[in-house]
Amino acid sequence: MLSTDLVLVSGKGGTGKSAVASAIAIERARRGQTVLAIDLGNGLGLGAHLRARHLTYKPVEVRAGLYAMTMERTAALDEYFKKQLHMPQGAPTKPIAGALSVLVDAAPGVREIISIGKPVHELWQGTWDAVIVDTPSLGQFRSYLRAPMTISELAPTGAVGRQASALAEVLADAGTTRVVLVTNPAELPVIETREMLEHIREEQLCPAPSVVMNRMLTPASFDDSDLNSLPTGPLRAAGVHQLSMERSQAEWATNVDADATLPFLRGVLTPGEVAVQLADAIGTIV
Amino acid sequence: MTRTIIVTGAGGVGKTTLSAGIAVEAARLGLRTLVLTIDPAKRLADALGVAELGDEPKPVEGEPHLHAAMLDVAASWEAIIHRYAEPDVGDRLLVNPYFRAIADRFPAAQSYAAGERMADSIESKLYDVVVVDTPPSGGGLDFYLAPARTGALISGKLLKWLTGSHLPGRSVLYRMTAKPMLKFADVVLGGPMLSDVADFVLDLRTMYDGLSVRTKTIDRYLRAADTIIATTADPTPINETRRFFDELGDIRIAPRAVLFNRTLPTEWIHASGEPHAEIDDPGLMAATTENLVAWASEAQRQLDAADELSARYGVPVYELPWTVPPPATLDDLADLVAPASISDWLAE
Repeated sequence: MLSTDLVLVSGKGGTGKSAVASAIAIERARRGQTVLAIDLGNGLGLGAHLRARHLTYKPVEVRAGLYAMTMERTAALDEYFKKQLHMPQGAPTKPIAGALSVLVDAAPGVREIISIGKPVHELWQGTWDAVIVDTPSLGQFRSYLRAPMTISELAPTGAVGRQASALAEVLADAGTTRVVLVTNPAELPVIETREMLEHIREEQLCPAPSVVMNRMLTPASFDDSDLNSLPTGPLRAAGVHQLSMERSQAEWATNVDADATLPFLRGVLTPGEVAVQLADAIGTIV
Repeated sequence: MTRTIIVTGAGGVGKTTLSAGIAVEAARLGLRTLVLTIDPAKRLADALGVAELGDEPKPVEGEPHLHAAMLDVAASWEAIIHRYAEPDVGDRLLVNPYFRAIADRFPAAQSYAAGERMADSIESKLYDVVVVDTPPSGGGLDFYLAPARTGALISGKLLKWLTGSHLPGRSVLYRMTAKPMLKFADVVLGGPMLSDVADFVLDLRTMYDGLSVRTKTIDRYLRAADTIIATTADPTPINETRRFFDELGDIRIAPRAVLFNRTLPTEWIHASGEPHAEIDDPGLMAATTENLVAWASEAQRQLDAADELSARYGVPVYELPWTVPPPATLDDLADLVAPASISDWLAE
């Protein structure tokens, strides 16, 4: 059995999932773990939050004990054939990879198992205490979870099918895999998170997720009547904005059970600072 | 001629809301307007009256010149198949697992379907303005590249590789299964998968002539459209916006404007450093000042980001107010996009 943690972080676009994935990775590394953070999207989000301008397919150490990488399609395909499918020496992997890059666009699930196969493959290498995965969006994440099953149905006899079944087992194993859904106290993020929780419950392809409510404002100590006593102007207007935001956030926050809440960070913060501050707040949640 | 406005940008910045706002503004100028939305929030869908109607454009109650439709990707793909495939091929494709998976997951599929709908709406000649909300796929460029990618998929590049020849017939393909490459592919993918893929690609191939003409037409419409990038001050949307400008430049499309959503009043920035009118309660004074300073720093970050975009790319950046709760009526939507002076450039 694997002793490494696989942490899959997903959430609706714009909720701060790259920041939360980075925060989890930073916090794990601070506790002395050797951590690999993988961006399955374009590498921009995770790279910015971990202060690494250009992430590549080869992991680079971005701070003590924390390595980061991003997916690169050609490299990932090549590795998939050589290492994950165990193609024999001398097999024509190059033309196969060429054809597969077309097939990846066509055949269901192939793109996804190559992507989600990478973190699991890293896990199997035994180099890392934890592998933290920043997945592109809820829809993509669901495709990743479903891909091994789809592949197993379509290609039960080939090497691709065998690798897919092994993947499915790891993803569903609560002893190895943790799923974190990042959301915000706003209409669409909450509704989409609820839908995703429902899908996960029905499909049972991964363990029950932890929900992280990101960007929750700290309540102000004044109320509406206090503000009414102020003269019209920025002081009052900013107060009104704060209280309307609090009300709107409270309305949506109650619509989903969150396992953790992270603060709304106002002001001139770089992505790197955001990730570090969230890491301070995230503690031992995940 | 129909004026087309494409609203693109990262997820979560309010693309759908801004598309709707632009459409309301256009309709209020007396222009016959259609907004093609994707996944609107419930309040927005209610405001537009598209909550239960789906794919077909429907008049928006209370706004005489405005129609709205919600893009249903599955329905769009079915319409595409029925348009370009022979009836028996179409029926076979619609139940093929590969086709179903492509319709669900091929990243360009949703974008391509949206492009088809855009082209249909333009060609219907029913509208003066068509506003297109783009799918939240990985990077906004998908919408622009989808026609070409869809064309490449259907052209049978995969089949060509598998068989080593151009576009063989079905029987030729099966006679060639003895070829080493196919044998090898069989080991990797498994026999059933290989023949399913082959069936699928052969069927898809029959649609090629019709579709390849169409993808070129859609591409022309995309280039003739006004592209608007929506963003907020959050790091991810800002990064996406920069990348988007660069990549659109590579395919020679110049965005028309940036709509910078959820901005705070810039006067808060200066006010936070100034002394305030006397407030008797020192506790209240401290709490509200601290609050203003916090939001002013947020306003500063927004201003910096907007200035940087404007300086770097030389396009107008319109700052739109942060309204809480989000717009829920047609008037709210129009108010939200008012700073972008849509009417000025629609009049050009």
